Amino acid sequence: MAKDFDHDIIVVGGGPAGSCFARIAAGAGLDVLVIDKRKEIGVPVRCGEGVNETEIIKEGLDLPRSCYSTPIVGAKIVAPNGKSITWKDKDTKGWILERKTFDKWLCELAVEKGATLKTYTRALQLLKDEKEKPNGLTISHGGREPFDLHAPLIVSAEGMESLIARQMGFKTVHALYDVDTCYEYEMKPYDHENLIELYFGNALAPRGYVWIFPKADRKANVGIGVGGNVANGDKLGALKGAQPKPLLDQFIKGNEQLKESSTLLDFGGVISVGAPINEFAKDNCMIIGTAAKQVDPIHGGGIAIAMEAGVMAAGAAIKAFEKKDFSKAIFTEHYEKPWRENTGPRLAKRLMLRKVMEKVSDDDMNHIFSTITDQDLQQIMNGNFAGPVAKVVGTRPQLLGVLRGLIG
Amino acid sequence: MITIKHDGCILCVGCSSVCPTNAIEVVGTRMEHFADKCIDCGLCVRVCPANVIEMYKGVKNHKELPAGAEVG
Repeated sequence: MAKDFDHDIIVVGGGPAGSCFARIAAGAGLDVLVIDKRKEIGVPVRCGEGVNETEIIKEGLDLPRSCYSTPIVGAKIVAPNGKSITWKDKDTKGWILERKTFDKWLCELAVEKGATLKTYTRALQLLKDEKEKPNGLTISHGGREPFDLHAPLIVSAEGMESLIARQMGFKTVHALYDVDTCYEYEMKPYDHENLIELYFGNALAPRGYVWIFPKADRKANVGIGVGGNVANGDKLGALKGAQPKPLLDQFIKGNEQLKESSTLLDFGGVISVGAPINEFAKDNCMIIGTAAKQVDPIHGGGIAIAMEAGVMAAGAAIKAFEKKDFSKAIFTEHYEKPWRENTGPRLAKRLMLRKVMEKVSDDDMNHIFSTITDQDLQQIMNGNFAGPVAKVVGTRPQLLGVLRGLIG
Repeated sequence: MITIKHDGCILCVGCSSVCPTNAIEVVGTRMEHFADKCIDCGLCVRVCPANVIEMYKGVKNHKELPAGAEVG
């Protein structure tokens, strides 16, 4: 009865989620195959590349020097009227990664534990057994003749595209309201103080912000994210298209330093800024990382969250192989339930903050920035909204209506 | 009717991530649009950061939106 399987687990996607999953699962002696559609792991980069220090240390990993461009010592937040707040704190420490090297390093760690990695290999179709349970994938290497591979457990770590996840039946389609559309340049020269810089304003970046992430050798990632539901562009065909690039170009033209700088790299993407999907596991399959919308809704960042989810899901997979039970129940108990208890509430708070922030007008934003201090900002980032909200509402009571959501 | 200007495409797959009917996917090294699945909702046009997807009125392809799909 038992079907012959080619592998114990097939993971679709070799990003941070997939490679961390593979590292733990292969470390426990499981036969893990990771396939990635890209010719080279980590390329193209579609990311601002920022990551918090504590989040990496939590994984018990020692980040090699080649994987990051520069450390960050703090952040600077700029209001629509140009007033800025700078704060430096041990908690704001982090790195601007070199995603290309970083992703490869994570994959190498998985390979060293015994996982198999295949690049330029695309999953075309999810295979199912007679009971409609997933049991394999049709894959193709570089567009060559497709072939079938079977495994009792399939893991989707596909990121935004989530083609296989959709075939598994997960509801991964993004609503326009829950995505930001982004454009980013790597620029040089830009003299910085190793601070993350964020610029707010509804004219500058509707329902979003412009960021400048410092990199080594006087370089910086300069990017913009605007709300996917904010159609503000010129007419394209019969519909207005998103316009992150013209808005970013406008910002750069108005920046004393950047207007003279060159661009070294263009990249862009669509990021998820919504809530996680309603279920992370079904019989014989799991979904991890950005594919499951496990992202921070403030900035769409998901590196650390994806790594954590990968590790948790791998723990569930190990349990499943011990018990020879690949039902949804076992994955839910060991992966989805603890994830929703630990990480879920933190992200829910961030989503609330995002939804409140997008309702604040430029004038109110200026007022908020002139009222709060760097200490308050720290509180907000930690998810303690009550103090700062009381301060702002104390001086401008009409904001209570908008900000009430944060203290409910 | 959707057209993609492949020259400017940065392969971010943002269009796939919002497409309610899987009508736009990476095939080989570029995005392909499958007109038979397309319902002309225009979400891909609005989300594309490189602004390379265009939509033209005229050749219509109407089908019902699937349950749960949001046009926002």
